[in-house]
Amino acid sequence: MAPVRTLSALTEADIAATRSANPDAFGNSRKSLLIYAAWASVFVYLAFAFIYFDFGRIFEPSENAQRLLRAMFRWEDMETWQYANIYRGIAETLAMAFLGTFLASLVALVVGFLAARNIVRFGLFRHTVRRILDVFRGIDQLVWALVFVRAVGLGPLAGVLAIFISDIGTLSKLYSEAIENIDRKQVEGIRSTGAGPVRTIRFGILPQVLPVFLSQSLYFLESNTRSATSLGIVGAGGIGMIIIERFRATLYDQVVFVVINVLILVAIIDWVSKKIRMKFIGEVGE
Amino acid sequence: MAVTTTPLTETGHPQDPVSIYEKHRTDLQRAKLGQNILFLLLFFGMLIFSIVTSQFYPERLAQAASRVFEYFGTIMPNLQWDLLFEGRDEQGRAVEGSLTFWYTDLDKYLSLIWETILMAITATLLGTAGALALCFAGSRNLMKNSWIYFFARRFMEICRGVPEILIALIFVFAFGIGPLAGILAVAIHTAGALGKLFAEVNENVSRRPIDGIRGVGGNWFEQMRYGVLPQVLPNFVSYGLLRFEINVRASSIIGFVGAGGIGQELNRVISFYSDDRVLAVLVLVVITVTLIDLLSERLRLYFIGKEQL
Repeated sequence: MAPVRTLSALTEADIAATRSANPDAFGNSRKSLLIYAAWASVFVYLAFAFIYFDFGRIFEPSENAQRLLRAMFRWEDMETWQYANIYRGIAETLAMAFLGTFLASLVALVVGFLAARNIVRFGLFRHTVRRILDVFRGIDQLVWALVFVRAVGLGPLAGVLAIFISDIGTLSKLYSEAIENIDRKQVEGIRSTGAGPVRTIRFGILPQVLPVFLSQSLYFLESNTRSATSLGIVGAGGIGMIIIERFRATLYDQVVFVVINVLILVAIIDWVSKKIRMKFIGEVGE
Repeated sequence: MAVTTTPLTETGHPQDPVSIYEKHRTDLQRAKLGQNILFLLLFFGMLIFSIVTSQFYPERLAQAASRVFEYFGTIMPNLQWDLLFEGRDEQGRAVEGSLTFWYTDLDKYLSLIWETILMAITATLLGTAGALALCFAGSRNLMKNSWIYFFARRFMEICRGVPEILIALIFVFAFGIGPLAGILAVAIHTAGALGKLFAEVNENVSRRPIDGIRGVGGNWFEQMRYGVLPQVLPNFVSYGLLRFEINVRASSIIGFVGAGGIGQELNRVISFYSDDRVLAVLVLVVITVTLIDLLSERLRLYFIGKEQL
């Protein structure tokens, strides 16, 4: 190709030559077709979904919806709200989350070791433990809550059990992964002094994994406080039950008030757990 | 940290190392003692408060445990090995003890699971679109107007802070029972949660392409589209797929408040029956969720792998 001196000196042939010399610089027609096809399929799917799920209903909300929207911003008769009741519900939610997380952490402390490859050499046993944990984890916390409400009745006990069971699954898995990632040297050092298995775990492994365990349990406390609200909605005690009760009684302003309070509670727990992590773990634990 | 003073012996030599070490250790322990006691007290106070509030007492617990086991006994299917794969007989009735008998309503469950998956896909698409719209405004480095930044951040926080199921409850109330309420609830939560993750990705982009686009006269939207998006898209796709897995789980339970999908059926069988139907639906849900997880993991690896080439 002859060197181009001015832009107007470019002929059609020059442009074509440059294009064919650098095919990627001007967009690959097959690739762009693929991208267009992807976008088209997304839009076709969305169009289908909008019809299939009848999205038109969004624009014709019921009379109640407008009342709900109004009540969200206009709070009435605030002196008659049963604040003691509301804050007892919030305390109950916190208690459920705390107890559930604590008990699950205790169990996970043992089960985590049983599911760790470098502790339990016997594969069959380890895999059995892991599959049981998978089942605990695979079923959603809310489903556990519904099952426990059915089994032990309405109230916070069902919520604690639901958090407990589903967190055993998740926390044990996380704990066992932390145990599998430890530094071997410290363990070998302890073992070389003639320590038995229990002491090896106590002085060789625990000091390495405890900060990680604590940090993960704190994260779970926070997330459980959040989810304990949902548990109440299916009847497992706590603030969720108060929310649904007020909702059924069409006291939407109180629902909004309670939700704001829950958000504040979660923010406080977030802040406290951050402080505790900093205090005990420093920069080590994530 | 406490500094240990090590007194010398009369000959001017330090004492033996063991006693120095022990002294240093006790000093350190004493320094932390007060704080640890405080934390322990707080912890046990919290524990006692929790036990009392949720009435987690031994006698109630023992009672509850027996009832839980009893319940799990009743939802077990009555399967017999020799009849396991027995089909329907001439009258179209399934034989008791066979899989067909256990899953009499399989067609209904499958169509509900299909609906659940469609709900998850729709909610993920809508939620991702919302997150895309919000994430650029919610990134410190991209949004210079601190008011817009502040509102975008708070808006995303509210979206992901309010429990999905509560949003679904409100939408069921507003738009009627059905999957629409569930989709909207999951989509709103997705917009909040993904928006935050997207914004964090955005905050780590290189400034150079953005400056380049600005240098040739691109406005803010063009800077985002041509300067930022190409850098972050692979991450966005990966996060979006991860969110899809989460949304399949969410869609399968959002029906508890009447917002469509398999959750509605799950709620119905758990609340009204205590027989093998409960386990039948549960098993199907777990299998679906696991399959979707595996599928989406492969897709994710495919996308990430492609980018690294």
